[in-house]
Amino acid sequence: MPTDIQTLIDGLVEDLQPSRAMTLRRGLVIASGSAALTVGAVALFFGVRPDLIAANPNPVFLLATGLFLILGVAASFTVIGMSRPQVGSTHVGWAWAVAMAALLPLSAAVMGFVNQGNTFFQSQPTQGINCLTNGGLLGLIVGGALTFWLRRGAPTSPEQAGLLTGLAAGSLGIFAYSLHCPFDDIYHIGIWHSLAVAVSAFAGRAIVPALIRW
Amino acid sequence: MIADDAMMARLMTLSQGGDRQAYATLLAECQKWLKRFYARRIVPHQIDDLVQDTLLSLHQKIASYDPSRPFLPWLAAIARYRWVDQLRKVYRADETEFEESFAAENSEPAIVARISLDRMFSYLPPAQARVIELVKIKGLTISEASHACGQSESLVKVNIHRGLKKLATMIEKE
Repeated sequence: MPTDIQTLIDGLVEDLQPSRAMTLRRGLVIASGSAALTVGAVALFFGVRPDLIAANPNPVFLLATGLFLILGVAASFTVIGMSRPQVGSTHVGWAWAVAMAALLPLSAAVMGFVNQGNTFFQSQPTQGINCLTNGGLLGLIVGGALTFWLRRGAPTSPEQAGLLTGLAAGSLGIFAYSLHCPFDDIYHIGIWHSLAVAVSAFAGRAIVPALIRW
Repeated sequence: MIADDAMMARLMTLSQGGDRQAYATLLAECQKWLKRFYARRIVPHQIDDLVQDTLLSLHQKIASYDPSRPFLPWLAAIARYRWVDQLRKVYRADETEFEESFAAENSEPAIVARISLDRMFSYLPPAQARVIELVKIKGLTISEASHACGQSESLVKVNIHRGLKKLATMIEKE
């Protein structure tokens, strides 16, 4: 064995500290804990929609919020998997969740075209900017937790891991803010809530890879 | 003796618990395994550097190994990442001869075949794999590679760029 490699091994052995394995379970606890914290922040600082409190929610709200939740869960699950590399792992399931959630902006576009109305103004832009801002800011909780997790892990595709971190953060952020947002029409949800997810995903792709250390 | 996956997984689990003796044995086994893994897939005089880089990554990312999963596919993912990273570095090798002493010697042909570097090459279009092999592994210049494979110099550059980009996306692909 060459001396320099043996010297390196001796140094690494000397440097060894006990470390907790990054199991799937621990990853899920961190992701679900940060998502729960996000929902708690919405309830505390913004308040929950009256129809939810009355246990009589709007069906469009249920459908749209459910899609964002599924997208957030799928993206978080993938990020956790990517932090624990293994030849033979595939990370493609999230793409189906994106396709499902893409039905929301697509539906808004189709309805706008069919009704020949002014889709943008029907989407309540003033409130929409609130949703975009608050959804994005709330996403920082999940985004921060997943980035922390990724920094300890070994993602072999940091760019994709960053994109998915942003996607998870945006989806769970807007999911949580939807519990407050009183607007149920497809234009508002399809444009502004989807935009919050897209902006967050691009931000994750741009920022997170630089924070991942190898 | 060549350690198998189960033994290396046990050593890694002990290492995560702070057992330095197990860790020293594991690193020595990994060092042997990595030399075989990289053999013929990098210029020989760079193997030691690449092995050291990979051992450092193993050490820094030790927590990312989950004891409920096999060990070698985890190590191979890290080794592939380091290998692609190395190929992306621009260099002109002085030496192009390959030592035959590392020729495929392994105790787990099925696992190794699935996680090998050759497997990654098999997913590349032949033109891309060929120029990466000539320029990045055998150390030919762009001009020499162009003559050797019949592609124009600009096509050689494009194919290297595209091939390395594709390799980077398939590090965990079986």
